[in-house]
Amino acid sequence: MTPLPDSLLESVAAAAVREGLADAVFTRLSSPIGKLLVVNGPDGIVRLAFEEEAEDRALAEVAAALGPRIVASDRELTAERDALSEYLEGGSSVLDLPYDLRLMAAPFRHKVLEELHRSVRRGETVTYGELAARAGNPKASRAVGSACARNPIPIVVPCHRVLPGSGGIGNYGGGPERKRVLLELEGVLPTSLTP
Amino acid sequence: MPLPPFWSLVEAHGDELLVHAKRLAGDQHGEDVLQDALLRALRAYPKLRHADHLRAWLYRVTMSAAMDFHRSRRRETVMDEPPTVSTYDTYDDGAFEALIAELPESARSALRLRFVDDLDYDGIADRLGCSTVAARQRVSTAVRSLRETFA
Repeated sequence: MTPLPDSLLESVAAAAVREGLADAVFTRLSSPIGKLLVVNGPDGIVRLAFEEEAEDRALAEVAAALGPRIVASDRELTAERDALSEYLEGGSSVLDLPYDLRLMAAPFRHKVLEELHRSVRRGETVTYGELAARAGNPKASRAVGSACARNPIPIVVPCHRVLPGSGGIGNYGGGPERKRVLLELEGVLPTSLTP
Repeated sequence: MPLPPFWSLVEAHGDELLVHAKRLAGDQHGEDVLQDALLRALRAYPKLRHADHLRAWLYRVTMSAAMDFHRSRRRETVMDEPPTVSTYDTYDDGAFEALIAELPESARSALRLRFVDDLDYDGIADRLGCSTVAARQRVSTAVRSLRETFA
């Protein structure tokens, strides 16, 4: 059987977006840190997944929160694709995309990720404890750890910039190696890690 | 079970639906009909009451889209025919029965087993008490008759 032509799929997706029928639009992007799944809702990116994550599970999460009318389109997400590609290939120093953290329902974790996005810019890092303090609860560094581990929008909400106070690179949802690559890209690998 | 993300259905069944659409509307118009069908399906999707037999449901939506395509083409040549509008917006069993109402009972039962009960050809053969090859033929003849009643 012949696969569906891309032009047909893109036309369906474009018409769906135009008619307001799409609850979310997703695209698959190749990048220097592997294939990424990017899902956009009405207010911005709601989910970004690395290739190790099961795509159907990530999309089902989005469907549960935003609705099941999810379509794929590279064309509808051209701006998001270009911005992420440029950033990850080192051609652009800012990544300023609309995002929406509604998949992170737990209030404190939500606050942690908003604070992280707001206050830790490219070239900077923060410790789990310091971020806990900025989010209003200095004792909650473990909760900050779990907020980062479950960050639905890595890269855009920069949990790779959160490091352990004791030194080292710490954990990362996408694996420590990716965290290292992202921090190198941003020129902020902590001195304790350089050989 | 919640409804799966719509696009996972498109990616899983899109190619066979295109074959179905071409069979019903002709090679030349198959893609247009399928595009229309997928948009209809997307409009109706949140109104579905359950997540069972979604593949068969997409086949039925494609059949409705193909039949409306034939109706609209016919209207272009026969101007005094009143326009028919599909009001069966969830493409449920009632809508499907209306679509196949003019076919003989043997054709209707074959189409129901395939596109409502979602049986494969072995299952249809079982129910009709015939061989799998014969079951396939019954469905294919029924699809052809359906196309001929509209085209």
